[in-house]
Amino acid sequence: MSQVTVCWKWVSVDGGDVDPRWSGVSPADEAALEIGLQLAGAEDVTVVCVGPAEADTVLRYALAAGAHHAVRVDATKAASNDVALAIATLFGDTELVVCGDYSLDRGTGSVPAYIAAHLGAAQALGLVHIDTASSPLRVIRRLDGGRREVLDVPTPAVLSVEGSVARLRRAPLAAALRAKSAEIRLLPGPAAAEDTAQITDYRPRARQLPAPAGGTLARVRDILDIGAAKQTHAETLMLEPSDAAALVIKQLDEWGYLGEQPAK
Amino acid sequence: MSKISDRWASVAAGGTKETEQWPTHSFEDLIGSTRFDVHERAHIVVDDTVCRDCPSRECIVACPAKLFVPTSDGGILFNYEQCFECGTCYLVCNKEGAISWSYPEGGHGVVFKRS
Amino acid sequence: MTEFDVDVVVVGAGPAGATAATVLARAGHSVILLERGPFPGSKNMYGGVVYPRMLDQLHPQWWEEAPVQRWITRRSTMVLTDEQAVSVDFRSQKWGSAPYNGATAFRPDWDHWLASKAEADGATLICSTTATGLLRKNNQVVGVTTDRPDGDLRARVVIACDGVNSFLAKEAGMYGEVDAANYTVGVKETIALPKEVIDSRFGVRGRHGMDIEVLGGTSGVNGGGFVYTNLDTLAVGCVLKLPKLTAQELRPEEIIDRFKRHPGIAPLVEGGEVQEYSAHVIPEAGLSMMPQMTGNGILVAGDAAAMCLAAGLWLEGVNFAMASGIYAGEAAAESLAVGDVSAKGLAGYERRLNDTFVLRDHKRLHRAPEIVLSDRVQHLYPQMIANSVERMFRVDNPTPKPGLIRVLNQERKRAGLKVRHVVKDTLDGLRTFG
Repeated sequence: MSQVTVCWKWVSVDGGDVDPRWSGVSPADEAALEIGLQLAGAEDVTVVCVGPAEADTVLRYALAAGAHHAVRVDATKAASNDVALAIATLFGDTELVVCGDYSLDRGTGSVPAYIAAHLGAAQALGLVHIDTASSPLRVIRRLDGGRREVLDVPTPAVLSVEGSVARLRRAPLAAALRAKSAEIRLLPGPAAAEDTAQITDYRPRARQLPAPAGGTLARVRDILDIGAAKQTHAETLMLEPSDAAALVIKQLDEWGYLGEQPAK
Repeated sequence: MSKISDRWASVAAGGTKETEQWPTHSFEDLIGSTRFDVHERAHIVVDDTVCRDCPSRECIVACPAKLFVPTSDGGILFNYEQCFECGTCYLVCNKEGAISWSYPEGGHGVVFKRS
Repeated sequence: MTEFDVDVVVVGAGPAGATAATVLARAGHSVILLERGPFPGSKNMYGGVVYPRMLDQLHPQWWEEAPVQRWITRRSTMVLTDEQAVSVDFRSQKWGSAPYNGATAFRPDWDHWLASKAEADGATLICSTTATGLLRKNNQVVGVTTDRPDGDLRARVVIACDGVNSFLAKEAGMYGEVDAANYTVGVKETIALPKEVIDSRFGVRGRHGMDIEVLGGTSGVNGGGFVYTNLDTLAVGCVLKLPKLTAQELRPEEIIDRFKRHPGIAPLVEGGEVQEYSAHVIPEAGLSMMPQMTGNGILVAGDAAAMCLAAGLWLEGVNFAMASGIYAGEAAAESLAVGDVSAKGLAGYERRLNDTFVLRDHKRLHRAPEIVLSDRVQHLYPQMIANSVERMFRVDNPTPKPGLIRVLNQERKRAGLKVRHVVKDTLDGLRTFG
């Protein structure tokens, strides 16, 4: 992987205050940079961040940690698609784009999707593991219900990683000093979107749940455990100890407590 | 006028007897008002084999962040996450070597905003 | 021959470090200002009032840009017993216009601003970097180690402004035995109230504010309390002497809670919502606990040099830190110019401290912290004063009014004070404060 682009979203934590002290990027964004830096043969890692001039603070932080170039897209409250288009235009020949799975303001994660669409690239979301040494890139993706999906990702691709995949490395002192005066490329950003959604506290979206089965009385009985005909497993047998043990194991296996048996 | 400012108007006029009815803050609410960027490495370490002989246990009452908790078996359970990095604990500790205390890694720990 | 990365490394971007870095950068030296927090001021907490006149020279017209909450125009010293309060209240409109006297400010704002001035003058500020120790060569300090990878920083001079716990000054052997009795812990709640409510409760207008220092009210633990007005918050807290705190059962937050419920304090703070809870240790003992100020290649300034003045009537610290930072910067620049950074070459620092208010105030008031925190001043005199005032102002008809001397004498006895104690304390007080 010779060219990797890492996308960050700068967010002011303190509501309206545009102050570097109370703003930053999400742990997922930081993890995205670490993955970018770790990727085999990554020689050219560019961090691109959308935000006002105050966002330069986080870009210097990225440069200190090892990013090779920093670009700031000068925009606030721009529409996701406009931002994605700006990034995709600038980095049309990038092999891999790594994003955080969520920003500090818990956005919708739409920018990575738009970038993938503009680049005609593959996209993998919600990544909890990336084998940075593999080729093609092998990643593990979080699915609902605690399940996981293993993917081999072709390039070009857009990845969105969770904050837990990596902790951003600590910048050496000399790099921190150099980053103070490093160049940050400024890209004129799209205008603010007319109808920007109000940012409110994070709330999980409503999920549709299936209606409960049975009538009201049955459900109450079920909850209270009254009179329901529960299936019981009670047997009294007289067996030799070895036969008894075998039977217990067989029964447990039938109920699914034992998982796969080791090969004999 | 919103309801909030109406309420303040009455408080300002001295018209309430809120004082006696103040709920005592839970300590968790109090310290929850302060921001901490916790690092995974503990910057306080307590050798609680030393603490077992300590009759006075100054750290438990003095630490403003309530980080030291006695355990039923005579030891001390310590936390480091919500630490003001003030140094009270090692200053009051009477047992040589019981508390090793340093600063958390740069950029981590307490972040004051209105102090 | 050691190669140096920089002329001076200043450890800690508080008020001492920021002013030292400013002075050095203006003198044309390369300076790195290290800060362990994510930004200057993020680790710092104090009662709430800064006296910034030391900045008149360094940053003329500083009041036009300094991040101030309110200018103190009303100042009250209050003595509390369980049910009484005696106040001496002073107000001056003069303090409400330039060059001002004291101001309330948040340290995350003040220190951040002061460090940004150092940066503007050419100092290099590196945040999120903890200095972990000293680099030494032949009995000379030649830099610091930090917790970053490849974190050694070689410098001709190190100025340790690393706060009350100053691990650097201790490592350099500049401190004697550390005694908990020399320290207090300050705990504080920042309480939000609408600006108009604060204005009316404290009798101030616009950006004017009030400073209340309290003797008593700390549940019997030697120390004091304070209430300061910020723009739309109050700083309410207690300062507690460590050995006295650990000798009883109440925890710091419980002591503040009781302080807030005192009938003299409650009407000022009730109904507010706690926005931040904070704590910090204060070097309280003044001159008697101060370290050696200069070593070979190293200077100590601010709280690291125990420069808080906790003398009852005066509670100052940030001004001493800023002054000592300025003088440390000047002395370091002087020694670099002549190429002698040994303790002898840096001796200009101590000379400046001795010649100015920094050590003059501390020398004059060297016994004050001990007197102010003594058991008699903390527990017996407040009772005697409050009871005497109560009897003087009580109209007890048909009993005729008592004479003042008689009342004072009776109340002295009732408080358990011996005549010789009062004589001794009066003389001590006059000698110290007179």
